[in-house]
This record gives sequence, structure tokens and C-alpha cells, in this order.
Amino acid sequence: GDLGPFNPGLPVEVPLWLAINLKQRQKCRLLPPEWMDVEKLEKMRDHERKEETFTPMPSPYYMELTKLLLNHASDNIPKADEIRTLVKDMWDTRIAKLRVSADSFVRQQEAHAKLDNLTLMEINTSGTFLTQALNHMYKLRTNLQPSESTQSQDF
Amino acid sequence: MSEAYFRVESGALGPEENFLSLDDILMSHEKLPVRTETAMPRLGAFFLERSAGAETDNAVPQGSKLELPLWLAKGLFDNKRRILSVELPKIYQEGWRTVFSADANVVDLHKMGPHFYGFGSQLLHFDSPENADISQSLLQTFIGRFRRIMDSSQNAYNEDTSALVARLDEMERGLFQTGQKGLNDFQCWEKGQASQITASNLVQNYKKRKFTDMED
Repeated sequence: GDLGPFNPGLPVEVPLWLAINLKQRQKCRLLPPEWMDVEKLEKMRDHERKEETFTPMPSPYYMELTKLLLNHASDNIPKADEIRTLVKDMWDTRIAKLRVSADSFVRQQEAHAKLDNLTLMEINTSGTFLTQALNHMYKLRTNLQPSESTQSQDF
Repeated sequence: MSEAYFRVESGALGPEENFLSLDDILMSHEKLPVRTETAMPRLGAFFLERSAGAETDNAVPQGSKLELPLWLAKGLFDNKRRILSVELPKIYQEGWRTVFSADANVVDLHKMGPHFYGFGSQLLHFDSPENADISQSLLQTFIGRFRRIMDSSQNAYNEDTSALVARLDEMERGLFQTGQKGLNDFQCWEKGQASQITASNLVQNYKKRKFTDMED
């Protein structure tokens, strides 16, 4: 789409890739997104720890955004290290919840689970392992049904 | 496409093993205690201690106990049971089944036969009356051990994992590797290696010939 005009000193919204590129060429200063603030993140982290299910995240890409912004523009973000720690805490809590939920899913052999508010990054990190384990379980489970007799040769 | 070789995966857990899968071939080679129902002529040459002697054509007499690999036992087994009858190995019998139901995590499944699940699933073809119990026990053992495999595979980054996998059987080791791969990929992303271009491992092995070699 169209962007600009870029007047020096005035804030403008651009796509993230452009922002990172301009920053690397030292042509701009990045403003942190509204949710990337120490108090807000602390509240979100405590909320996440209290709840047993997953709480909504400020953005479906919070991990990726955090990593990119903190790696390229940490001088523009106040208290960058604390933010990094807070986001990592949230990530760890959510991954732990995911594991507990996977474990109870397997133990009770349920057929269907619904997980709200999961971001793609979390799904991809634990997804392959879980699908493979469930595949194995499915095969072991179908052994329980007596199979139709396979063809055997008669002499 | 970063891999040069696509493996055929094991079908052993399901209804039939895959002919081309290396895991299945290895699994199928494990031995099974078996009792012959008819005499088998001339096989006494292989099983010298069981043979009836040279006069009777070196036959293995009826009712003798042998240990045959699974692929051979499966081929000879017939529903009318004219040739062989199969005995279940100890770990699939009642005694061990109660051990597994008590606590599945304690057992060293690698020692019990490194292909516990695959072999057990293929054993179900032999129509034993305990089939339902065996399959139930396999499933429950897997469920019991799942948590530990998940935790250990997802938390051990860049460490020596031989102590962790020592007690897992082959199928569980495959799962462990998948978990480790997921973890490694995540760490790779975190470090930023995902956006760097690295030489493919196929090409790295091509050493450049020296110019002097080519002159000859």
C-alpha cells in the first residue's frame, strides 16, 4: 500500500519489516507497541499464572514481535531487559500449561480438545511431538478391536 | 529439502508391518518361543540338540520347543494351527502386565526387548486368548510413560541425553527425538539462525579438488 509522507519528527505507522529496515539504516526511531509496557506485562503475567486456561495475548505474534523489536531496537524501548524477562515468563507459563493439558488429554484418552488463545508459535513448538504421540496411541488403540482375519494360504 | 534420505516409517504398531521399513525388519528379527505341532523333516540340521537323529531324516520331532524369529513364526502360523503354536514371551504375560499397570515408568523397556510396542502389536496376530489384555496393557504402559518422555525431551537442550533414553524402547526413542528436534528448532529460531543461510549438508562434503590433482 502507500505509506508516508515521512516528515521528520512526526510519528507514522509502517509495516514492521519496513520499520526494522529503516532502523537498521539508522533512519528512524521505533516506538514500542502499546502493550509492551512493564506494568501491563506484569499484570498479564500474573493473570496468566492464576488462570488454568490460556488468557488472551496482546497480539497473536507477541513472541516474534518481542524478539524482533528487542533485538533491533532495544534502545528505543524503555526497560528492555525487564520486558524480555516478563515475556519469557509468560511463554514458560503457557508452555507448561500446554504440557499439562497434553498429558491429561493422553491419560484420559479423549478424542477432542479445544484450546483457546494459543498463538502459532506455541502450537508449532509442541505440535509435532504431540501429533506423533497421538498417532502412536491411535494405532495402539485400534489394536484393541479384533481385526478381520487376513488372507492366509491354505495348503 | 534438507534431508537426503527419506526413511520408511515403521508400521509395526498398526495392523501390518511395512516391508521396506528398517525398524520393522530389525524388530521382526527378535525371537519368539514356539512349540512345533508337527514334525519338521530335515530341520534337525539347524537345531542339533532337538533333532531326532539321522535315521529319521534329521527331523525336529513334534512338540519340541524352539525359538524362532518373528518373521518366520508369522509365516508358519496358520489359523488351523497345524504347524506351530506360539507361547507368549514373559513380558507380555500376566505377571509383567501387573508390573506395568502398577507403575509403568520404572521398567527398563530397552532391556525387555528394544521393540516392546512393535513386537507386542505383531504378537496379536497369533490369536492368543490373552490378546485383549495384551493390547490394553500396551496402551496403558504407553500412556503412563508419555509424561516423562515429553518432559525429558522438551527440557534437555544441548545435554548428553544417553542417560534419559537408556530405558526407552525404540518407538519411544523416536518420539524423544521428535521432541528434541522441536526444542532445537525453537532455540535455533531464538538465536536468529533461522534467517541465516548455511550450506546444505549435501554440499559440504564435496571437497574441492586441488588444481594440482587435475593437472596429472
